[in-house]
Amino acid sequence: MSTAAATNSRAAPSSLAESSKFKTFATTFSITGPVVYCTTQYFNWPLITYHPATGRLVWGYEAARAGEGPNLLWYGWTMTTILIAAGLGIIAMMLPERISKKIPLALVWIFPILAIPYVIYSLMPWWTHP
Amino acid sequence: MAGLVSTNTFWSLWLFVHLILAVGLLGALTHQAMAVALPVRRSSGGIVTRFRAVPAAGYATAVCVLWVLTFLVGSYIYTKYRIYVRIPLEQTSHNRTVGFFDFKEHVASIGLTLLPAYWLFWKKAQNPEYDNARKGVTLVLAVMCWFLFIVGHVLNNTRGFAS
Repeated sequence: MSTAAATNSRAAPSSLAESSKFKTFATTFSITGPVVYCTTQYFNWPLITYHPATGRLVWGYEAARAGEGPNLLWYGWTMTTILIAAGLGIIAMMLPERISKKIPLALVWIFPILAIPYVIYSLMPWWTHP
Repeated sequence: MAGLVSTNTFWSLWLFVHLILAVGLLGALTHQAMAVALPVRRSSGGIVTRFRAVPAAGYATAVCVLWVLTFLVGSYIYTKYRIYVRIPLEQTSHNRTVGFFDFKEHVASIGLTLLPAYWLFWKKAQNPEYDNARKGVTLVLAVMCWFLFIVGHVLNNTRGFAS
């Protein structure tokens, strides 16, 4: 029998992955991403609103207009999230390494799990609608 | 595409592209999740063992690219979903189906934000400091991907573009 398939999770690191600045940016972006997305959705801060029936695209939030079909906010929420999370990641890159290296990596998978109950709650009208 | 295929066929083809990308993503993430959750110590064994024994680190970039591509194609066809699928579903009181699709949107966006750290953790696979975080984020993304896939599949069965 051959040995050591436990090595199946080992790979040579890339130069980008070796950068401590990128590590700080990537972990901050991914930790804050779910939190920012939930906040953006809660306060309804879409970067853009798209009206698919008319092809109308506007900055920020715009309610659905009479006779022009629904408005799409999901694109805008996602864009807002990416911008804010990227901004926070860039700010974190400016922190001294002794601070940035203390960011708990486990938050990357804990926060998205914690976001799920909020997302389910935010959709409550669909679950309780007769 | 005007004149070559009907409007329904055009959007169904894009939906099919979305499906193919999703299948690739689902396969790669499931292999990785199995590899981190149940690492194989010996390479010989049955099909389940071989399924777990893939060189999982090599999938990380492909998973990120596939997630983004699936997301972009899904975003493109979403415009037609919103008018030609969701409105009839609302009118026929398929409220939980619509709710689960909204849930899917949010999960897809949250998953998108995890990709930079996910990619980094796999590229740092030689450093044991990242083992637990890599395992956690890979399992979360795999569960998300299965959820997205199943909800999309059920929604298409409820009312596809050609309905």
